[in-house]
Amino acid sequence: MTKEPVKLLEDEGLTFLTCMQCGTCTGSCPSGRYTSLNTRRIVLSARRNKDVYHDENLWMCTTCYQCQERCPRGIKIVDGILALRTESVHMGLMLPDHRKVAGLVVDKGHAVPINDANKEKRKELGMDELPETVHKYPEALDQVKKLLEVTGFVQLVLEEEKDKSEEGQ
Amino acid sequence: MTEQEAVTETIKAEEPRIGAFICECGVNIGGAVDCQAVADYVATLPNVTTAVVNKYTCSDAGQAEIKNAIKELGLNRVLVASCTPKTHEPIFRACVEEAGLNPYLFEFVNIREHCSWIHMWEKEDATHKAKEMVRMGVARAAKLEPLQSSEVPVTNKALVIGAGVTGMQAALDIGDMGFQVYLVEQGPSIGGKMAQLDKTFPTNDCSICILGPKMVEVARNKNIEIMSYSEVEEVDGYVGNFKVKVKHKPRYLNIDDCSGCGLCTEKCPVEVPYTEFNEGIGTRKAIYVPFPQAVPLRALVDKSVCIDCGACSKACERGAIDMEQQETFSELDVGVIVVAAGYQVYDPEPQHEYGFGLYDNVITTMEFERLINASGPTMGKVVRPSDVQPPKSIGFVQCVGSRDKNSNIYCSSFCCMASLKNAQLIKEKYPDTEVYIMYMDMRTPFRMYEEFYNRARDSGIKFIRGKPAEVTETEDHNIIARVEDTLTGEIVNLELDLLVLSVGAVSTESTEKIRQILKVSRAADGFMMEAHPKLKPVDTTLDGIFIGGMTQGPKDIPYSISQGSACAARATRFLAQGKALTEGITVKVDEDICVSCGMCVPMCPFQALSMEEGKLNIISALCKGCGTCAVACPTGALQQSHFKNDQLLAQVKNVFAYGEV
Repeated sequence: MTKEPVKLLEDEGLTFLTCMQCGTCTGSCPSGRYTSLNTRRIVLSARRNKDVYHDENLWMCTTCYQCQERCPRGIKIVDGILALRTESVHMGLMLPDHRKVAGLVVDKGHAVPINDANKEKRKELGMDELPETVHKYPEALDQVKKLLEVTGFVQLVLEEEKDKSEEGQ
Repeated sequence: MTEQEAVTETIKAEEPRIGAFICECGVNIGGAVDCQAVADYVATLPNVTTAVVNKYTCSDAGQAEIKNAIKELGLNRVLVASCTPKTHEPIFRACVEEAGLNPYLFEFVNIREHCSWIHMWEKEDATHKAKEMVRMGVARAAKLEPLQSSEVPVTNKALVIGAGVTGMQAALDIGDMGFQVYLVEQGPSIGGKMAQLDKTFPTNDCSICILGPKMVEVARNKNIEIMSYSEVEEVDGYVGNFKVKVKHKPRYLNIDDCSGCGLCTEKCPVEVPYTEFNEGIGTRKAIYVPFPQAVPLRALVDKSVCIDCGACSKACERGAIDMEQQETFSELDVGVIVVAAGYQVYDPEPQHEYGFGLYDNVITTMEFERLINASGPTMGKVVRPSDVQPPKSIGFVQCVGSRDKNSNIYCSSFCCMASLKNAQLIKEKYPDTEVYIMYMDMRTPFRMYEEFYNRARDSGIKFIRGKPAEVTETEDHNIIARVEDTLTGEIVNLELDLLVLSVGAVSTESTEKIRQILKVSRAADGFMMEAHPKLKPVDTTLDGIFIGGMTQGPKDIPYSISQGSACAARATRFLAQGKALTEGITVKVDEDICVSCGMCVPMCPFQALSMEEGKLNIISALCKGCGTCAVACPTGALQQSHFKNDQLLAQVKNVFAYGEV
């Protein structure tokens, strides 16, 4: 069952209800300069219990935390957006590109697996060619996969795309 | 045995006959607590003669019932279970006193704030808790002893700290009522912040034009003694009998000889930014007269920049200059104290808010006031600091240092109107200027304020509903404010010649110092705390000390003047009566147990205790009955009357049910 945004945020200790709609968040947002994200409207929709879960703009935030730092009401805007995203993924809502990246984590143990260019860069900087991850210890990949399995991550991100919020309606 | 001790012994010897009155307070208590069940239970407790329910115990009918019961049933203790002692204890104490009972034989149990309001949805448990609370009260009531408050004479003089518009009003009113007032001002002139302002809302009349005559009136009033350039150093004593030590800072000239002619200023070669009055715009000399309308119109020397060249001494025809002058002190006896120590405008510099302190063309409201003021450093010509050119576009940012968790959470209340006023002045003086106000909510209550706002809209000022997120500077020193117009959702990058930060008010270090000297409470916002937010807005919890104007929190001129008058009226009650009642609840020492260790002495916040010749001396008039010393006493020799050990222990023992509730 989908939680209403107000209830969800309240349970997470991230209430948006004290927002006075000053727009400091929108004006601060670097992503909003290039995307259709208007942070203030996300906050407004959420506190009015509108369906923000289906709003693609929810995923345009780069989590730079500029809005949260500047918010005159001290609202944890980014933390709230992350909580809303989590709920929306649990509803089966995920953009195709995000799903692909999640697939990489499941397959390779990395959202962005290393490539030759990066290996070269690391050498240049005097670092080991491979980082201290499954790249260096391939035998650990099974353990990572196991973790992703038992935490339910695999099922969450790889199952057929469907909108659970629509189910039973 | 004194008379009082004899009465106490008689009362203690009598069998307690307690009358308990359970108040429903309409549905406030009755809605959650079954008051009849509480009364029925209480009637079964030891020493209870009667227990009844009232709809409103504090009403005339309720009080009449208490008085009748005292007389007819011979009650010697009265317990009321209702609301808060803060508002109602004085009423019920007076009620039992009228019926011939000592007012301290009254016990108050708060079953509203402490029970019904917090257990609104748990009726059964609320009733159970109310029974337990009243049972505890009954146990304590049985142990109550009569106490006497005493009368102290009141010195019929007042001290007013701070000679801004609030303090001036308080001093004038007290003076006009025929009492002598010492008006102590830390600055070289009276007048306060209002003297710096250009025009005042909502009538746009010139600030100094309406303040000036009041300043002169203060100077002329025979009952007011102005102590300018002076500070309160120490305050001892209690209501009616305060002893105040005032420091007079040296002006380095004889104030009686100086005529304020300004010849010395002309000759002085030292020029420094005039921060004290002109917000650092323009300069003043090392010897200077504060401003043309200053009261007293006298010069003073800023020793921190003076080079001791002697030019002023030569220039002064009256020989007033005295570079050897030292600070002096006065000891004042006063009966009451009014604090109107004021505020300072919020300083956005430390965090460089909106580029203030980084970009030349970002200024504060107060700087703007000095710029547009006809007697200011630019003779009223508004120019931008970077190139001294008239700005073609000006933006005002509201709520700087107000309504923001990163600075101050409160609304400073006057800044909306101040910006509306300043924006209109620009439009009147320079009609071609583009004027923007960036705001979140426009707050314009009170008479003629909304009309004023309407006029501002009508004058063509552009309003953008949004708080700027970022401010940057161009190569030409123009200011770019990035703000979301929240009514359209558009991001606006507003290029402006001048940006004015509408800064709010904060308490000052000097006000805080006075607060600590007087031991007045401090509210969470840093301003001084009134005794009650609605019913006692200018009183403090200390008898005889009153607060008004910005000292109590941000407010505008009409509100400040009202509070000045309110302080005068409240304070003068003591002066007119010539006497004051002291608290009956004080600490007492059992000399047989006291070992004169002196641990209690430094504990007392009111200096009521001292060791004299190895013996503890208590000045009861100073004691506020706070109990701090009694807790510190290692032998138990100190006992707080009305909160004695046996009284409190009786209550504690009755926390848990010993019978069926």
